[in-house]
Amino acid sequence: MAPLEPWEKVMVNEDFMDDVHGQASCTSCHAGDRFAEEKEAAHIGIIGSPDQNAQTTCGNCHNEIVTTAADSLHSSQAGYFKAMYSRSVPENHPALDEAFGNHCASCHTTCGDCHISQPNSVGGGFLDGHMVEKTPPMTRTCTACHGSRVGNEYTGKNEGFPGDVHFRQGRMNCVACHDGESMHDSKGDVDRYDGEQGPSCESCHDTVGKANDEIVQHQIHEDKLSCQTCHSIAYTSCDSCHVAVSETSGKPFFKTSATYMTFFIGRNPRQNDERPYEYVPVRHIPVDPESYAYYGEDLLTNFDLLPTWAYSTPHNIQRNTPQNESCNSCHGNADIFLTADKVRAEELEANKDIIVENVPAPIPGQ
Amino acid sequence: MKRFSIILFVGIGLLLLGGCSAKSVVDNAPTEAAIEATAQVTAVAEEPILTETDTCVDCHTDKQRLIDTADPVEEEAGEGESEGVG
Repeated sequence: MAPLEPWEKVMVNEDFMDDVHGQASCTSCHAGDRFAEEKEAAHIGIIGSPDQNAQTTCGNCHNEIVTTAADSLHSSQAGYFKAMYSRSVPENHPALDEAFGNHCASCHTTCGDCHISQPNSVGGGFLDGHMVEKTPPMTRTCTACHGSRVGNEYTGKNEGFPGDVHFRQGRMNCVACHDGESMHDSKGDVDRYDGEQGPSCESCHDTVGKANDEIVQHQIHEDKLSCQTCHSIAYTSCDSCHVAVSETSGKPFFKTSATYMTFFIGRNPRQNDERPYEYVPVRHIPVDPESYAYYGEDLLTNFDLLPTWAYSTPHNIQRNTPQNESCNSCHGNADIFLTADKVRAEELEANKDIIVENVPAPIPGQ
Repeated sequence: MKRFSIILFVGIGLLLLGGCSAKSVVDNAPTEAAIEATAQVTAVAEEPILTETDTCVDCHTDKQRLIDTADPVEEEAGEGESEGVG
């Protein structure tokens, strides 16, 4: 969608005044002076995003949601901190915090970022004249942020690769699986692959792997492979995102060195009761030891403590995929496993728990 | 005495009945002007309170005013220096 015109971003739909959210005066949330005739005077002290302090605005009515949302991953961005800090040491945290503030904090999501406005990454502005959208529109909110990987995979924008069957045939939008409750409450998880799987494929496909499942491969592989290992197709990987602040404009920017399509099965570095799989698809994430070099020397001191090929849940599910054509599409096929020869020498240590050393043997006669 | 009491009761009764029937006849049928005035008052009362005086609403529902008063678009030089997929 083309960016909104400046006036369009702030044009209030007259229907809003009939909506329950439009019954309060503008200044009760946004401050400023509603009696002033001139724009400059009216905007003195104005609060563009009053939901930054959601407890005193949205929370007046939606207290329970606001309370849990404050700790949700969309709000806390805990996953970023976990990833940065785990590769670093405490004395480097202030420099990393500065980098986070300049480059990552804009992904922090408030109530209005989903329900009233579209994110700044697509130019910002009202979704519909300040009307409050109970269900955020997918392409203007969800995939506006989660676009370059998940959004493109799901909607089939990676050339030559079809979109997810849940989108193509099911016409399902993001909230069909990622419902409001899960968006508003991360239940203490510190990243998206922490805790209970939510959503899980089995929430709908509840016979998979059970005694009455007619697909024998499901029973054989149930706890060995994540669903995506057999049912996703090639997805995006990226290399080396470096961040800095422009010397000319003083504004933050990033440079990612490469983006390419991959499909590699790696060992699951996070095997637990919730994710017992031995193998999962892995995606190269755009981090390298110098990603934050602008902010200090050797900030990712413990770079090798986290893999650069990360547990992944590609959003391009298909019933039929190249790897589930036959047993030996995987068994004995080293091409689709993340073997050491596919990992850069300087990243071998970081990925030692991911690299597949022994590709499952071919099955005779299959 | 009995006759006096009867006369007294009948007298009071007539007096009360007379009071009941002595209502004034006023033409309460509203004129067209009165109906219009009432409708106007009612319509105003149903408007949200915030429209009483609210330059925020006046401006932010007026496309031309928003165009006329928009800040110049700032050049996103920093973003322009970004390369690759974010």
